[in-house]
Amino acid sequence: MSEEIQADVVVDSRGATCPGPLMDLIGKIKTADSGTVLELQTEDRGSKKDVPEWLDKAGHELLDVVDQGDYWSLYVRKS
Amino acid sequence: MNGYAIVLASEELEKIQAASMIGSVAAVSDVPVELFVTMNALNAFEKETVENGSFVVGQVGEYMMSGESGEMSLFTDQLAQGKEIGPLSVYACSMAMDVQGKHLDDYVDVFDEELGIAGFLQHAADKNVIFI
Repeated sequence: MSEEIQADVVVDSRGATCPGPLMDLIGKIKTADSGTVLELQTEDRGSKKDVPEWLDKAGHELLDVVDQGDYWSLYVRKS
Repeated sequence: MNGYAIVLASEELEKIQAASMIGSVAAVSDVPVELFVTMNALNAFEKETVENGSFVVGQVGEYMMSGESGEMSLFTDQLAQGKEIGPLSVYACSMAMDVQGKHLDDYVDVFDEELGIAGFLQHAADKNVIFI
């Protein structure tokens, strides 16, 4: 299923440590339209756990987390 | 949630990074944040200190500065990003500046203005205060 998700916006935060990926995602999500699917790419283990916490509080939907081998893709739909 | 008023008095890089991380993430999450930089913490914001990376660091700070564990944004960049996206204000303590003969121009461009204690207390009156 995860391979079928098509992101409208890709946020490449590979190489950045916490809270960089979260800050990058928030920056993009604030200017996106409702329903936009974003893919956050991160190598940071802490962000993989922390970003879903923020999404839950902010009310956006975490569609999937995909292990890409050397990084993770977090698919998010803006509420 | 009325937000946070963070008093940053330490010049240790780890504590400054922690303050900027908490403050900027809260702000971009639409939680108002007032950051008051006072005492020795102001030294870390001097242009020359930032340019040379000559911070007071402990063990974690050494790892952060080495870049071995990934690319970490410096507090100056985090605060700039936080201010750009969310309700984050950064103030320099006028008393700490005065005793060292400093002006806002001596610091990196993250400050909204310089502020005295009474002024900061006005900003902090309805907020949860965090002292670092």
